[in-house]
Amino acid sequence: MATSQGAATSTVPATLTPADAPPGIEGGGDFVTLPPVREGGWEGPSGEDRIVQRYKLGVWVGMGGILMFFAALTSAMIVRQGLSGDWLPFSLPPVLYVSTAVLVLSSFTIERARKELLQSNPDALRRWVNVSACLGLAFLACQLLGWQALSGRGIYLASNPASSFYYLLTAGHGAHLLGGIAALGYIWARVRGSRPWPTRVAAVEATALYWHFLDVLWIYILGLLLFWR
Amino acid sequence: MTEVQVSPEVAGYTEVHRHPEPKSFIWKYIFSVDHKVIGIQYLLLAVVAVFVGMALSLLVRLRLIWPNESLPLLGDLFPVGAPGGVMTPEFYLAMLTMHGTVMVFMVLTTAPQGGFGNYFLPIQIGAADMAFPRLNMLSFWATFVSFMLLMAAFFVEGGAPMSGWTGYPPLSAVPEATVQGIGQDLWIASIAVFCIASLLAALNFIVTTLDLRAKGLTMMRLPLTCWTWFVTAILALLAFGVLLAAGVLLLMDRNAGTSFFVPGGLVVSDRQIDHSGGSPILWQHLFWFFGHPEVYIAILPGMGVTSHILSTFARKTVFGYKAMVYAVLAIGLLGFVVWGHHMFVSGMSPYSAFVFAILTMCIGVPSAIKTFNWIGTLWGGKIRFTSPMLYSIGFVSLFVTGGLSGIFLGQPTVDLYFHDTYFVVAHFHLIMGVAAIFGMFAGMTFWFPKMFGRMMDEGLSKIHFWTTFVGVYAIFGPMHYLGMLPHPRRYAEMSDVDYLLTTGAEGLQQFITVAAVLTILVQFLFLYNFVRGIFAGKECREENPWEATTLEWAVPSPPPHDNFAGKVPHVYRGAYDFSLQGAKRDFAMQCNDDKAVYGDQPGSGD
Repeated sequence: MATSQGAATSTVPATLTPADAPPGIEGGGDFVTLPPVREGGWEGPSGEDRIVQRYKLGVWVGMGGILMFFAALTSAMIVRQGLSGDWLPFSLPPVLYVSTAVLVLSSFTIERARKELLQSNPDALRRWVNVSACLGLAFLACQLLGWQALSGRGIYLASNPASSFYYLLTAGHGAHLLGGIAALGYIWARVRGSRPWPTRVAAVEATALYWHFLDVLWIYILGLLLFWR
Repeated sequence: MTEVQVSPEVAGYTEVHRHPEPKSFIWKYIFSVDHKVIGIQYLLLAVVAVFVGMALSLLVRLRLIWPNESLPLLGDLFPVGAPGGVMTPEFYLAMLTMHGTVMVFMVLTTAPQGGFGNYFLPIQIGAADMAFPRLNMLSFWATFVSFMLLMAAFFVEGGAPMSGWTGYPPLSAVPEATVQGIGQDLWIASIAVFCIASLLAALNFIVTTLDLRAKGLTMMRLPLTCWTWFVTAILALLAFGVLLAAGVLLLMDRNAGTSFFVPGGLVVSDRQIDHSGGSPILWQHLFWFFGHPEVYIAILPGMGVTSHILSTFARKTVFGYKAMVYAVLAIGLLGFVVWGHHMFVSGMSPYSAFVFAILTMCIGVPSAIKTFNWIGTLWGGKIRFTSPMLYSIGFVSLFVTGGLSGIFLGQPTVDLYFHDTYFVVAHFHLIMGVAAIFGMFAGMTFWFPKMFGRMMDEGLSKIHFWTTFVGVYAIFGPMHYLGMLPHPRRYAEMSDVDYLLTTGAEGLQQFITVAAVLTILVQFLFLYNFVRGIFAGKECREENPWEATTLEWAVPSPPPHDNFAGKVPHVYRGAYDFSLQGAKRDFAMQCNDDKAVYGDQPGSGD
């Protein structure tokens, strides 16, 4: 019964020598164009784009875990707000709109970096990675200014559940963004090195995906703070 | 690089090595990125943790029957918790808390998934390693740090926390509520680090299963072990993030003056606590949203191992493979919508309780499917009573016994009576604790020859199986009766509770303690067998001593650094092809094509 289950398509020869393996898996520091994306199916044991796909899949899966973290904070916030009459809404510091603009802009610069990578342009790639990381740091600086503005108004972490959630959500997001900046630093350092080509592509693709996710996540958090006061 | 001969069973093709074999001790055995080394590291961590956990349970049992006696050594070890060798009630609660925390997190969550899963998932799917080897190493070492943080709680001022493994506020959130100081903070920090480690590991398991399967290994050809590791990883990914968030909130409540979980107007020791408006129930919801999936994180890998071993030693294909897969998925899905059944006594709306009760009953369906399929697998099989087989049959027995009492507790009306009694202790120990541990015993004895190239002693294993099997029933069986009395759980003593003394509860408690001491002693037999097996067990260089079908049995014992010596195996069939008609042997390995199985007879395949 089980023998016929999901019969494998045997288009690949039974034995394959290393010479038949796609190039670039080992060594190969040259900056070459990305091979065409495979069209479904299982092509070989070490296709280059497989590594890229793997890292992107890792980020997608990781998003699931991160989303659950913020979903838990969201539900705690909504429940806590309805619990007792001690919820004191406050107006958000305007600098948050600046930080939002900065973060959205950084998503575009990351895309630009990705494009430079695909066009085999390492110097431009490093430049746009730099710009993105700086925008990321600028975003974090704006978030800190937001904290400063609030504490200037006498609103601290423990002042009120509303402010507690404000500080926690922004801090939680900021911590994840620091991870993104670290990944950009890794790309910046390694893009000239002798890393095999597919892992470089994988690093850039995965980081770009993660960065866009943090962008969307921040807009969600901002919406939550704005409309669920 | 050393030349490794791989069995001709693996008809695959060559892949370039992914990472070279490390030479130095530190990179080979300590900071290794090899999934097999990391798997063994997880297993060793769990072995240390399980003996710590058992020692704690021993103290709990001794305190229950000798509340006022002075015990030797204890006074010297814990001058505050047990002055003069007499355990204080607070000390009892601290031991109870740490026993639960160590066992649930450091044993039940690490060994089945981090240990066996790490070692065998890549080999069973024909991969050279996990998808992200360095992330894998990070997961283990974060888990190790988490364990150290937890152990440190014993040695700080005020001692270990005593708010239970569930960390219920306000006991856990208000330092004034207990004598504990930093112990509770260490507990929260330990759990938070553990969450991060588990999230990273879950990510790795999911990507590995989806992306690294060998050619021909479709999802519906996966061994059931891989299916359960995969679903367990999904549960962990979605559950641990929630616990992490809850832990952060709790830490803020303790240390930053916020009020998420601490209600207003709380008075502790005649002093008003400076918090307002929070709710302990909020913590319960967040905790159990994690906590219930956690139960399945502990038990699902055991189910996979049991299915795998029952089929192998009954020489029959798993009865209803697809049904088994769908049952695992259904259990995983339903596991996220039943958390409220842990909170029936929290004052929740009867309508919510009703919904949670109905959903809880629903889990009985996939659980029953699994149980009947296990029996169906055994039915008419040519059973080989090896020690892994015995442990697996023991698993089925314990799963049924523990599961049946779950049907009682899933009813809100019945649970109101049982909730704070020993009935619950009996239920969750049998199903989540002991059944899962039997899954680990089964896995250990089954895979031992593959991991170490030696055998554990079958005779000792069988003695261990029978004594432990009888022992755990002797411990937890009577607790059902205690619960019906009803004997409250978590109480440090019952000296002045008249109705308990007149109903034989005292005698039963003494019996349970004796049974527990004996059962704990028997575990040293297993430890001896395990350690002796590694260094002096009967050598077993054979690739496939059990005549099993999955890919790990097609590589040398122990497997080489990158498992298939640079090859990628082909998979031609499902994972449980036993007793095929017309086949040359009574089993067909997953990497055998029809020609290898049937010879050249035409038309014998399919």
